[in-house]
Amino acid sequence: MFEEASEVLENMLKCSFPLSLVLFLVLVCPLRAEAAHEFSVYRMQQYDLQGQTYGSRNAILNTEARTVEAEVLSRRCVMVRLADFSYEKYQRALRQSAGAVVIILPQNMSTVPQDMVQQFMELEPELLATETIVPVYFALEDEELLSIYTQTQISSSSQGASSAAEVLLHTATANGFQMVTSGAQSKAVSDWAITSLEGRLTGSGGEDLPTIVLVAHYDSFGVAPWLSYGADSNGSGVAVLLELARLFSRLYSYKRTHAGYNLLFFLSGGGKFNYQGTKRWLEDNLDHTDSSLLQDNVAFVLCLDTLGNSDNLHLHVSKPPKEGSPQHLLLKELETVSAHQHPDLKFSMVHKKINLADDTLAWEHERFGIRRLPAFTLSHLESHRSPARHSIMDMRSVSSLEGAGEATAGPHVDLTKLSRNTKVIAEALARVIYNLTEKGVGGDVQIFTEQMQVQEDQLESLVDWLTAQPRAAQLLDKDSSIVNTLEYYLNRYLKDVKRHLVRADKRDPEFVFYDQLKQTMNAYRVKPAIFDLLLAVCIASYLGVLYLAVQNFGLLYGFLRRVTAPRVKQH
Amino acid sequence: MTLFHFGNCVSLAYFPYFITYKCSGLSEYNAFWRCVQAGATYLFVQLCKMLFLATFFPTWEGAVGVYDFVGEFMKATVDLADLLGLHLVMSRNAGKGEYKIMVAAMGWATAELIMSRCIPFWVGARGIEFDWKYIQMSFDSNISLVHYIAMAAVVWMFTRYDLPKSFRLPVTILLGLCVYKGFLMELFVHVFLLGSWTALLVKAVLTGAISLCSLFLFVTLVHSN
Repeated sequence: MFEEASEVLENMLKCSFPLSLVLFLVLVCPLRAEAAHEFSVYRMQQYDLQGQTYGSRNAILNTEARTVEAEVLSRRCVMVRLADFSYEKYQRALRQSAGAVVIILPQNMSTVPQDMVQQFMELEPELLATETIVPVYFALEDEELLSIYTQTQISSSSQGASSAAEVLLHTATANGFQMVTSGAQSKAVSDWAITSLEGRLTGSGGEDLPTIVLVAHYDSFGVAPWLSYGADSNGSGVAVLLELARLFSRLYSYKRTHAGYNLLFFLSGGGKFNYQGTKRWLEDNLDHTDSSLLQDNVAFVLCLDTLGNSDNLHLHVSKPPKEGSPQHLLLKELETVSAHQHPDLKFSMVHKKINLADDTLAWEHERFGIRRLPAFTLSHLESHRSPARHSIMDMRSVSSLEGAGEATAGPHVDLTKLSRNTKVIAEALARVIYNLTEKGVGGDVQIFTEQMQVQEDQLESLVDWLTAQPRAAQLLDKDSSIVNTLEYYLNRYLKDVKRHLVRADKRDPEFVFYDQLKQTMNAYRVKPAIFDLLLAVCIASYLGVLYLAVQNFGLLYGFLRRVTAPRVKQH
Repeated sequence: MTLFHFGNCVSLAYFPYFITYKCSGLSEYNAFWRCVQAGATYLFVQLCKMLFLATFFPTWEGAVGVYDFVGEFMKATVDLADLLGLHLVMSRNAGKGEYKIMVAAMGWATAELIMSRCIPFWVGARGIEFDWKYIQMSFDSNISLVHYIAMAAVVWMFTRYDLPKSFRLPVTILLGLCVYKGFLMELFVHVFLLGSWTALLVKAVLTGAISLCSLFLFVTLVHSN
């Protein structure tokens, strides 16, 4: 048969040599098969700020999975669950030059216990501080991923001493997993535009009115950009600013309550990256334009940062306000309002000098302070270093948990406290712009009641919308839906709503963002190499047995003949 | 190593055919081209069956989990065309009964092996992902070889003019079993919810039983003269 077959093949090959070449090429090309499991993974931050590089530098991986218990971690993808995660294990993986680290987070973050949340929040800045070439990914846990993890854990921990028979059995039955990402290597995004929005309410009574600026940055920050929802920091700040815009635009629409102050509202982008939006906005307004509200009479700048929780309220200043200045007036009014109307609220001033030697500025008001504009930041956090400002654990928690009276782990937004803080700020601002203390109006008189009250459901829907998608600065370009919706919202209540774009300088960029932040990872079930050899040996023995059986088929035939022969004789 | 796995699966599937071809003495009769012709007939018959099924059988629009017994039964009935094809092949070959049976069965089974197994192996067994189903497919093709030999033998016996009356019934029953074997297997899997390895085992046992019975009948028929 072979001779005939080979003749046929020869004839074929003689007239179609290219065909065989193509065949050979097809034979050796790699193949994409269906994976055991496909899931989304979110990469750790990667950015350059003022020349300093942060985060994980690498995006691609194609390595076998192991868990932390395994002895050999080099060139393997280390999978860790949040519950087992610690800095020492992370360092160990990096020291052994692991291929990648995948941290598995629980699907529902609000079920994570308090101490674990705290521990992770403290770890986040440390993870980012060490620049590493190992790609670090975060994945949300589901059933299949959990089963992959448990299987990998079993095989990793049993890599120690075991007999040869056990090892053989193990190779036949166990599953290894190969983790492969589909994307390309990460590279810098060129020409990224950070958008900021401004809008104003013009005061009544001619030119040269004093201006009050209200600022909040709308982006969020966490160890993984796609997982940073920033509920409290700074979703709460944005919600307060938008609600104040609504309330004051209502007041300004009636002639009798149209005050003699200009109100300028500014939603800045790139806030978590050393307030890039604010910085460029100030430069453009103070250096490059002839007339701007910021150049003339600025009463003060109030920055809103993290106001969604707790019974503390801190006014952060870079130098204590002088007596008689509008700044001092606001400070006094805030004290009055909180003392008379909300005794449970503890209000205080925190003084921190601007330290230009630091890598990044502490609060947003410092940007204004550098340009000699009187500014302060209102926040419930006491220190700018608080981990709640840069954590992926800062999410809109499930409201049912709050109702059950349990303390929700992690930073989150408490709506009653948010609306109370909004009211305090609104009342204090109103007292300043209408000069109520001088006119003798008592501290317990409330302005924002009944039709003018702070609408808690408005705040709730704002916070819900803001935390429905991640708002990291790398994900919001000028066409993103969040920026467009914020612009639309501002347009409803304010006049002269303008966009302001910041692009990094070409030669000496202040910030550089990188892409490939969200990938699809495939987990392929693989068997160890020895398994194929084992299988080949088994198949060879099976074929040997089959050969013997076919050779001796005549025996069966003869047996059946003998069995049927007596029957025939009977017929 | 995945190419190795591909090699494993192909050798497991193909070598028994090779062994059978060599050891049954077909190579001495220069039966290669006749086997290829049998294979061509297989292709033709499958094409006709597909056209027939596509034209006359509507797609099943019922619930996902429910198994359409009647529909599948009707579809299995179309497999009678296989028997006709085998008969056609065998009638065109002159020679002893055994020769005819073996040539028809070898060609038929090899064509089925190439048509239905090559592409899944190429695409699936070569990938990174490992799955036991490729080894199972190879075993399945071994079982098919035995099945087709038995089926060809039963068809041959059915068309013999000197078949004793008492054999008519068993031969017809075996013929029916051969045609509906696929349907019966799916029924078992559905009703008893068999795992893949168990299903393979049941299939092997069933085919073994059919082939033993047909061998028994064949021996009786050939040596009763």
